[in-house]
Amino acid sequence: MSPDHKYRILVVDDETSVLTTYRLILERQGYQVAACGTSREAIEAISRQDFDLVLCDYSLEEQHTGIEVIAAARKRNATVPAALLTGYATKETAEEAADQSIGVLYKPIEIEEFLATTASLLRREE
Amino acid sequence: MATAEMRFQPERSGGRRGGQHRSRATLRLLQAERSEEVFPLLLEEIVALGYPRAMVLEVNFDTGEVIPAAALKWPQQQMEKFSTALWKEEHPLASILSSARPAVFTGSVIHGHPVYVHPILHSSRSLCWEADRARATGCLAVQNFRREKRVRREEQVCPTCEMRGYAAVVVVELKRSNSEAGLAALGELIEVGNSFLSRLFKVEHYYVRMREMEITIARMGTVMQSMADPVVLTDHEHHMIMVNAAAEHFFKVPDEMSEGLVRAVELNNRLFSALLSSMLDSGGAYRDLTLVDAMEGEEKLFEAVSAPSFGPDGVRTGTVTVLRDVTDLRRADQELRDNYDKLREAEGTVRQERDRLNLIIENVGDPIVVCDREARLVLVDPLAEELFGPVQKKPRPAAQVKNQSTLNACISSFTGASGERATAPLRLYNPKLNQEIEYDARSGKIFDENGQVVYTVTVLRDLTALRRVEQLKVERRMLEIEKFAAAGRLAATIAHEVNNPLDAIKNAVYLLAGAVPESAQPVYGILRSETERVARIVRQMLGLYRNTEQVKPANLNTIIEDTLLLLNRQLQRANVEVICELRPVPDAVIAADQIRQVLSNLVINAKDAMPNGGKLRIRSRHVFSGADNLHGWARVLVADSGTGIPAEMIRAVFEPFVTTKGEKGTGLGLWIVKGILQNHTGRLSVRSKVGSGTVFKIDLPVVKP
Repeated sequence: MSPDHKYRILVVDDETSVLTTYRLILERQGYQVAACGTSREAIEAISRQDFDLVLCDYSLEEQHTGIEVIAAARKRNATVPAALLTGYATKETAEEAADQSIGVLYKPIEIEEFLATTASLLRREE
Repeated sequence: MATAEMRFQPERSGGRRGGQHRSRATLRLLQAERSEEVFPLLLEEIVALGYPRAMVLEVNFDTGEVIPAAALKWPQQQMEKFSTALWKEEHPLASILSSARPAVFTGSVIHGHPVYVHPILHSSRSLCWEADRARATGCLAVQNFRREKRVRREEQVCPTCEMRGYAAVVVVELKRSNSEAGLAALGELIEVGNSFLSRLFKVEHYYVRMREMEITIARMGTVMQSMADPVVLTDHEHHMIMVNAAAEHFFKVPDEMSEGLVRAVELNNRLFSALLSSMLDSGGAYRDLTLVDAMEGEEKLFEAVSAPSFGPDGVRTGTVTVLRDVTDLRRADQELRDNYDKLREAEGTVRQERDRLNLIIENVGDPIVVCDREARLVLVDPLAEELFGPVQKKPRPAAQVKNQSTLNACISSFTGASGERATAPLRLYNPKLNQEIEYDARSGKIFDENGQVVYTVTVLRDLTALRRVEQLKVERRMLEIEKFAAAGRLAATIAHEVNNPLDAIKNAVYLLAGAVPESAQPVYGILRSETERVARIVRQMLGLYRNTEQVKPANLNTIIEDTLLLLNRQLQRANVEVICELRPVPDAVIAADQIRQVLSNLVINAKDAMPNGGKLRIRSRHVFSGADNLHGWARVLVADSGTGIPAEMIRAVFEPFVTTKGEKGTGLGLWIVKGILQNHTGRLSVRSKVGSGTVFKIDLPVVKP
C-alpha cells in the first residue's frame, strides 16, 4: 500500500471513555479513525464512506448490537473485516460471530493483542 | 459191667458135690471177681445143698418187668411161669418184692412143688464213699440193708450218688424133707451171696464213675485245647497246672528260642502271676494284660477273665483264666474314637461355617433366594420370606404366589441357560411398601461334581431405592453447580460493570506512556502493572459468567477435543507437543462449559509451566476405584513436562490467589477448577516434581454404565 494511504477504521462503543482511548491508540498507530457512540451514528458513518476495518462493542444502546453495525458495513462492502469487542460473549454470540467471520476480542483487551489483531485483520482485507 | 441185666449163666463143668459146709460155700462165692459171676455160683451152692433146682429173676427198672436172669436144673418152659412185672401186685413174686421179705409158697399156681422165694436188693451195712464224704445219711445200700424201703422202680436210686441199684428174687424148689433149720441156712446163704454181689456192684459202680470222669476230663481237655483264646488253669499258688495251645505261645518256653523271647516268656509269666494276685486282692474279674507272643514276637493286649475253681468239697483249688485278645478290638475302638473325634471336629467346623454364612446372608440386606434345579424354593432369608413366603408349603397370600411364579419363570430360564451368572430385572410386589418394585435379580449357579446345576442363588437388589439415591445425588450435584453458576453470574455482573471503566483506564495508561516525566516513571510502572492485574482478575471472573449452560450427560472425550482445538494455536505458538490418548468413557452428567473451563485452565497452566516448550499428555479412561460410585469414574490426566510445582507449594495451589506464575497469574485458575469439580462431586489431585513436570488427575462420576 502507498504511504499516503491511511487505513480507515470505524470504532463503535457506547462508553465514551473507552471509545476515546481506542480512538487515540489507533490514531497513534497512524490510522484514520471514525469513532461513534451509538449504532445509529455508526450506520450513518458507514453510509457516508468506506472503512477498511470495523471494531465494534457488542452491546450498544437500546438493545442494538455490534452485529447489526457490522452487517450494515458488510452491505456496503461485503469483505470488510470486523471484530467484536466484548466483555463477555455467550456461546451463541461467539458462534454467530464465527459464522460471519467476525473476530472476537474480549475486554479487558491486552493492548499488544489488540494491535496485532487489528493489523492482521487489515492485512487480510488487502 | 455190673448192671441189673445179667446174662443167663450155664452150669459150670465139674459141678460141686453136695457138701453142706457153709464156710465152703462162702469161700466159693468169694471166688467171684465180677458181679455177674455171683448168681451162677450161688445157684450152684444152693443145688449143692440138696435142693432140686433154683433160679434168679431180676427186675428191669426200665420196663418194670421181672424176668429170669439165671437158673439151674430148671426146665426152660417152667421158667416162663415165674416171669412177671412189678405192677402185677397179685403175682406172688411181685408181692414178695414189694414186701422185701422171704416166703415159702406151697401148691401155688406158679409151680407144682413148694418153692422158697427170697428177694434181694443192693444193700450194705456201711455208707458208700460219696455219702460218707458228703456226710449224707441217704445211701440206697444202707437204706435197703435196714429194710426201710419197699422196692419201687424210682426208689432204687441212691439219693447221694444217683447210682441205680438192683432188685432180684431167688426162687428155690424145696425138698420133701424140708426143715426150718434148712430154710434158715438157705436164707443165710442167699444173704451172703447178696452181700458179695452188693460189694462187687459198688466196686463196679466206682469203676464206671471213674471211666465217665475220664471221658469228661478228655472232653474238657478237648474243649480247652480247641479254644482260640489262651486258657490257663492255675493252682492256689498261681502255678500253672494246665495251659491250652493258644496259651503256650505266651507262657511256655520252646527249645529253639532266642534269649530275648525267653525273657519275654518269663516276663509274661510274672505279669500273669501278678495279675492273678491283684485280681484276687481286688476281687475283680476283668483286667487288661499286655503279653509278648513268643512265636511272633509281637505285643498283644488281652482282657483277662478269671474264675476261681473249687473242689467237690467246696475248697478253692485254683483259678481258670481265659485271655481274650483285644489288640484289634482296642485298636478298632481307638480308631473309632479317633474318627468320632475327627467327625465332631469336622461337624464343629461345618457348623461354624454355616453360622458365618448365615450371618453374612442375614447382613447382606437384600433378599436372597436359593432354588433347586427345578426352580423350587429351598432357602429364603427373612427379607425374601416377606416377598415369597416360607419355603414350607402353606397357603400363601395371592401376592406371594404371584411373586413366586415371577421368580420361578426367571430362575427356570436362568437354570436352563448356559451362563454361570446372570442379571435380570424383576418386578415384585413388596408387601411392606404395598407396591410393585423393580428388583435387579443377580443369579449364580452351584454345580455338583458332574457339572449339573444343583442350586441357584439369587440376590435381589431393590433398584428403586438405588435409583432414588442416585437421583438424589444428581439433583444435589446440579444444585451445587447451579449455586456455583449463580455466584459466577454475580461475580461476572460486577466484573462486567468494572470491565468498561477498566478497559478505558488500561488504554489511558497505555496512551500516557510517552508523556510521563522521568521522575514519575516508578509510579507510572505501578499504575500500569496493577491495572494489568485487575484486568486479569476481571477476565477470570468473566470466565465464570460464561458458564450458564444446563447440566446434562455429556462425553468427556468430546469436551477434551473441543478444548484442545480451541487452544491449539496457543499451544503451537508455545512450542508444546500435544499427545492425546483417549479411551472410551461413559457419559457424565456435567455442565460442559464448566468442565471445558477446567480443562482449559489446566492446559493453559501446563503451557505456562513449559516456557521453552515441551510435551503435554492428555489421557482419559473409565476406572472403578472407590466403593461409593455405582458406575465408576471418568478419569482425565493432564500431564506436562514443565518446571513442576515446589513441594512446599503443592498443598496451596488450589487456594485462591496462589500462583506460581508471578505477575502473570491471578491465582484463581486452580481454585475455580477445584470449585467446579467439587460441585460435580468429582475428585482432583496433583503430583509434581520440580524439573520433570506436573500431573493433574480428574475423576468425574459416571451416571450410566
